[in-house]
Amino acid sequence: MSPLKIVTRDATTGPVLEVVGDLDFAHAPALRERISTLVVPPGRRLVLDLGGLEFCDSSGITALIAAHSHAQAARAEVVLASVPANTLRILQMVGLDQVFTVQPDSDAATRT
Amino acid sequence: MMCSAGERPDPYDAEDGGVPPAAFASLLEDSVEELYENAPCGYLSTLMDGTVAKINATLLTWLGLRREDVVGRMRFSDLLSVGGKLYHETHFAPLLRMQGEISGIALEMRQAGGGRISVLVSSVVKRGTTGEPLLIRTTVFDASDRRAYEEELLRGRRVADEARRQAEADRARLQQALAVLQQSLLPDTLPPIPGVEAATHYHTASSDQVGGDFYDVFPVDGKRFGFFLGDVCGKGPEAAAVTSLTRYTLRAAAVHDPDPVAALTTLNKVLHQRYTGSGDPRFCTAVFGTLEPDAATGRVGVHLGSGGHPPALVVRADGTVDPLHTPGGLLVGVLPTARFVTTTAVLAPGDTLVLHTDGLTEARTGSDRTSLFGEDALRDFLAAHAGRSPGDLIGALITLLDGFGDGLDDDTALLALGVPADRTTPDAR
Repeated sequence: MSPLKIVTRDATTGPVLEVVGDLDFAHAPALRERISTLVVPPGRRLVLDLGGLEFCDSSGITALIAAHSHAQAARAEVVLASVPANTLRILQMVGLDQVFTVQPDSDAATRT
Repeated sequence: MMCSAGERPDPYDAEDGGVPPAAFASLLEDSVEELYENAPCGYLSTLMDGTVAKINATLLTWLGLRREDVVGRMRFSDLLSVGGKLYHETHFAPLLRMQGEISGIALEMRQAGGGRISVLVSSVVKRGTTGEPLLIRTTVFDASDRRAYEEELLRGRRVADEARRQAEADRARLQQALAVLQQSLLPDTLPPIPGVEAATHYHTASSDQVGGDFYDVFPVDGKRFGFFLGDVCGKGPEAAAVTSLTRYTLRAAAVHDPDPVAALTTLNKVLHQRYTGSGDPRFCTAVFGTLEPDAATGRVGVHLGSGGHPPALVVRADGTVDPLHTPGGLLVGVLPTARFVTTTAVLAPGDTLVLHTDGLTEARTGSDRTSLFGEDALRDFLAAHAGRSPGDLIGALITLLDGFGDGLDDDTALLALGVPADRTTPDAR
């Protein structure tokens, strides 16, 4: 298991979080914590760039859902970018591909 | 040894002439008699029959006795505790007679005040010029500190042993409580369904954790039976509470409307209301369905819906395996309103519907435990066991689970509902 690294940057559309490593039981809470303190202005977009994601289990999915709830509470939207194929398959299985907007990469995700 | 008879006290180290001549002189004047009386250990000499002939002041002080009450009046063994006396008679004295000396024996002496003092005793027989025994010289060391230390070690060990026993008992009680709780989340028995054989299995990954998988089979009305199987996200008591809420919500929902979408929608609403805003979102995946046996044809209609759960698999008698896809069925409890998708199938004789949780497909395989068993391997496995009764199929899956060893680290629920191939002799399992 590789540790989780979260890099935050600001795009014109709003915050972009690059998630690198494992979103598992041990590490997913760190992402949830980071997101809970993140300020997303209303109408802006929270982008989660999952290009560096190596593993994602149900705890990781929970963290993504927490991000969705957080953004929704702030009347903002969430976009997932560069979702690895196996994670996309899980999202499709649990129906979350309809809940999240999924973009091929963060360039597309931050386009206004 | 701290002291021995006749040894003079060590003079100060006179290096550099640091000791004043007066102090050195007073050391030299220190008489052997003075040393005998006030040495930091007890001395006594007894006749061969044990009668005390001489005893030093140190030992008298330890015992709280006066010289005149002891000398010529008491034997050495009279100074010992009952246990000490017994040991003296049976071991100490015989060995001393045989060897002529004995050293470092732990004994207990009596004090005048009724107390006991732990001592280490050494004795030597003094012989005359012709070798005849004359008297016994004995030194007595105060061993109470050492004894206290040993007793403290023993006490510490007893406490540790007791704590370990208590911890083991607590753990056993906890495991029993968890097992009972786990059982309460699963049905005791499955109802008989005409023309259908049902078999289940629940694999608990850890006896210290209540798992979050669940299933149930129950009658709905005169002709239909309901079933569900699912997986609550997470583990432990919180997950068990969600599992309990989920199971009874689905059972109650089915009473009002056994339609899969209606039941899953009710569950979604209940979970979302209960856990949204709690800071601890809880959700589950579930398959909910109904079976409708047709006595005329021997076939069984299946109508099921899924919320985020891996597809149920129909294992046909001919060896094909049909996954019952419900694309877009959302994880239950995530959003205030959720879309659920249903599908239908018909089970002919020899066909079995298999539902599982992802503990099975996410079991880690391979020598390095890095690959997952996976959906494809499960389909191949089921295809190879096509035509078997649900009981046999579950039996084969249990063997498969056992084979995963420590690669299986999640709870796994299995439910198989099948139409016996030979309707004349339905397996009554």
